[in-house]
Amino acid sequence: MRSAAELPGGGPVLMALRRAAVGYGKKALLREVELEVRAGDFLALVGPNGGGKTTVLRALLGALPLLGGAREQAGPVRVGYVPQRDHVDAVWPFTAGEVAAMGRTPGLGPLRRPGPADRAAVERALQRVGMAELHGRPYAELSGGQRQRTLIARALAAEPELLAVDEPTNGMDPAAELSTMEVLRELHGGGGLAVVMVSHRLDAVVSHARTLGFVDRERALFRVGPAEEMLRPGALAALYGREVEVREEAGRRVVLPVARGGGA
Amino acid sequence: MSGLAGFLAARELWQAPLLASALAGAMLGFLGVYVVLRRIVFVSAALTQISTLGLVVGLFAEERLHVEAEHAHHQLGMAMGFAVAGALLLGAWRPRRLPAEAGVGAAWVVTSALVVLGIARLVHVSHDLGGMVFGNAVAVPPEELWIMGVVALACAAIHAAFGKELRFVSFDPETARALGMRVWLWDALFSLSIGLAIPAAARVLGALPVFALLTLPAAAALLWKLRLGPALGVAAGFGLLAAVGGYLASWFAETPTGATMVAAAALLVLPGAALRGRG
Repeated sequence: MRSAAELPGGGPVLMALRRAAVGYGKKALLREVELEVRAGDFLALVGPNGGGKTTVLRALLGALPLLGGAREQAGPVRVGYVPQRDHVDAVWPFTAGEVAAMGRTPGLGPLRRPGPADRAAVERALQRVGMAELHGRPYAELSGGQRQRTLIARALAAEPELLAVDEPTNGMDPAAELSTMEVLRELHGGGGLAVVMVSHRLDAVVSHARTLGFVDRERALFRVGPAEEMLRPGALAALYGREVEVREEAGRRVVLPVARGGGA
Repeated sequence: MSGLAGFLAARELWQAPLLASALAGAMLGFLGVYVVLRRIVFVSAALTQISTLGLVVGLFAEERLHVEAEHAHHQLGMAMGFAVAGALLLGAWRPRRLPAEAGVGAAWVVTSALVVLGIARLVHVSHDLGGMVFGNAVAVPPEELWIMGVVALACAAIHAAFGKELRFVSFDPETARALGMRVWLWDALFSLSIGLAIPAAARVLGALPVFALLTLPAAAALLWKLRLGPALGVAAGFGLLAAVGGYLASWFAETPTGATMVAAAALLVLPGAALRGRG
């Protein structure tokens, strides 16, 4: 495992966990977690469902108190957060535009109403994810992919330096998954935006992430490093418990388990 | 016409109850949108019972410990204290091994039983307590009308000032928390608003209409596929209509006031349900 100082990402460190113990109540799910996010990085935390990825993300953002170790942050960092789509209750009668506008709420603070600058930021965010024309449509009537883009727009409305995205492609068909990942890649490629993404599927992120973190509390596994290093057979075997290889097909990386005693 | 003439002639009798019912109906209709969308309908039922238990405890304290609790504002203070505490506890209780509904159900059934036991012990005030539980908007003294007005104003002020925060944390608490918002604080503020509203309204209308007005006008408004802002306004209007319409209908038909308000609120759901039924 590489030390925090050696991790790639380019820019200055925005947030970091140092020898952190993360969990709920008094029970630590993972210990000795070393993780840092730099400006411009694209970090994907990958592991099985229930493996502790979201817990690490929440701890990184400061939304979950640490059970040990320390959390560091380089001054105030504007964060955009995209929750798992099915954690958002579509029974609320909001339009896509109203959902996106909520991204401005934490920055505005109590007693202040959104002004023209806030509305312009929301409009820009909706345009960046291709949802401007659907801003008046009820959130409940949007497709899964459109809801995901609306939630990304809400995060972008805060004009974040760090975009945290939790399982954005969960339950999507391949076309919607690709479309969502392209949106994230474009957002990341457009400037110094750091992206931290949680996914239980390495396939979904392997073509996009610069830095990979493998998380599985059952195996007491927390390992993070540059994507090229983490995609080597030894690192992949630590995550999957068996031989796995990554192939390049039509410009995209595909993760394939290697059959016992034979090829993939 | 003689019925109407008699009604108009008895203005002093119905003026305060009707105004208090209108205020309570509008306030509960508005808050009910949050209650329905936050999926805490049965929390409101439990809070109504908890506030009634507060009243029972106050009356017990008066009888057994000779603590001053004779005036309406003392009793209402106890009911509000219990309701606010109950709202905060039920809102904060996140059991790991049980669904949250189990706690709400337990709170409802235990407090209901304690209220019944209290009524059995407090024979001399059982009539008043019966009015609290089953509804009795016939006589509302000016003091209670004032209290109702102040509580409605306080709820309106809370939601006017902090509406965007309450909407965000209600809709998506996970994201609000991740972005550094103190969700527990906003939830507590919401709990405070319903913890104040329920006892004040229960004092005027009774427990059954309070539960109905926290549920049915909001459901009726939401069935019309309105956005949240208009839905809040329409639900407040429906709540007012159900309370006032129910009161007037009960006057002329000589039916129990609380139950007639519930029936009026239920009628308001039908058009929206028919509209949704047609797709």
